Amino acid sequence: MTENQSGIHERRHFWRDELLLILSIVVLVVVVYALDNALQPVFTPTTLLLTGVFLALIPAGIWLVFFNLQDRAEPEPKGHVLAIFGLGALLAAAVGVPMVESLFRVSNWIYTSAAATILGGILVVGFTQEFLKYAAVRYSIYHTDEFDEPTDGVIYSTAAGLGYATVLNIQFVVANGGVDLGAGIIRMAVVALAQAAFSGITGYFLGRAKFESEPIWWMPLGITLAAVFNGLFNWLQGVVIRPTVTLSGATNNAWLGLALATCVALLTTGALLWLVRRNIKRLQSAE
Amino acid sequence: MHTKPNSLGDKYAEITVIAVTALALVLGWFYKTSIENASLPFQAEGITVAAPKGWLQADPANDTEILRVININSSGFSTTYVVSKITIAEDVPALEVASIVALNHAQDLLAFRVLNQQEVQVYGRPAYEVEYAFVESNPDLTHSELPKVVRGVDYIFVENGQAIVVSYQADEKNYEADLNRFLLFLRSINF
Repeated sequence: MTENQSGIHERRHFWRDELLLILSIVVLVVVVYALDNALQPVFTPTTLLLTGVFLALIPAGIWLVFFNLQDRAEPEPKGHVLAIFGLGALLAAAVGVPMVESLFRVSNWIYTSAAATILGGILVVGFTQEFLKYAAVRYSIYHTDEFDEPTDGVIYSTAAGLGYATVLNIQFVVANGGVDLGAGIIRMAVVALAQAAFSGITGYFLGRAKFESEPIWWMPLGITLAAVFNGLFNWLQGVVIRPTVTLSGATNNAWLGLALATCVALLTTGALLWLVRRNIKRLQSAE
Repeated sequence: MHTKPNSLGDKYAEITVIAVTALALVLGWFYKTSIENASLPFQAEGITVAAPKGWLQADPANDTEILRVININSSGFSTTYVVSKITIAEDVPALEVASIVALNHAQDLLAFRVLNQQEVQVYGRPAYEVEYAFVESNPDLTHSELPKVVRGVDYIFVENGQAIVVSYQADEKNYEADLNRFLLFLRSINF
């Protein structure tokens, strides 16, 4: 039985978009970094802030452009994808950021030891972020007819994750009154890649929960896995980018952080693709 | 694509997700509290106190200071606890010591203002409380950042010809949130 006959789509274009997103973000970082070094632009405080906010919007913008292009082949309501993106951003701004920064005040204690970075990263930052991204999909599009493929879980969760990442990046820019373009774009790319990758995990679990009879622990397992990966990634990221101080100065390891985030995003996308394909084949054979 | 009907199991799974997240956040809160309240014993000149663990112990700023600990992870002005011991005459009242301490602050701190002062009981011990505010400005003129408003409180204990001054200073944004940790520190002091 073919995919079309069974009504189950793999949405190959979506996976291609995911890969293009990852590669485009890396290319964007290299270009912005090179331009910043070559031109050494001078900004006023206002233009620096606006430029930072603009850069924060780019990763999500790239993904939405790719998504829009492929949408002609495999229609998925753009309005819904944008709405979930907005909902992810809204939940981040209204709940996620205030909860992590003001209620738990993680910056005051999370870097006191490796154990605190990992446990705080999983229990507080990871669970808050992953639950909110899950909620953006679960309590909106999930119950509608538009969520009609297992892959839709990954699509909508990625949109929510990019919305969340955009707010995190804008908040970082605004809190610092603008950012150094070179260092700032690397950080933004890392946040966008990581948030999109971890929400993809939750999305895979959501997709299966919608179309198959899964045990009660299935969805909690998905959120927990995403939160654990989120916390571990943040700790590893901190270890990798920590500057090496020598007598001749300190080294900037931000590029290693980008390499790590790119690897994590590629591995997660690859793993999700393999899992979704396997699942679709199983569903097709069952039909 | 066939969508399975919403079952009671789905409802339970949804509740379980919320429960697991809530449990993780509660555990995170306890873990946060355990880190913030962790302490190390400190003893000097007949004074013992449980100093916050993981804070920077800085050099005393003057001869009267016994302990100065700073939370370098706090945002804005770094939250600081100071314990000082001042030798005084037997009959000097706490109010007079408070005036001297305030005068010293006024000389050292920018835009120092006393907000409130009163006699209080601190865990069963009579003390004099002075609340104040000042401005912390980066001395590096090339730093284009706004000066920070700092709030502080001194508890002055006068006993046996000596005054023990326990100070708490924090960025105005963190003052209320960090106050409970300071009260734990204050409670641990013995002299």
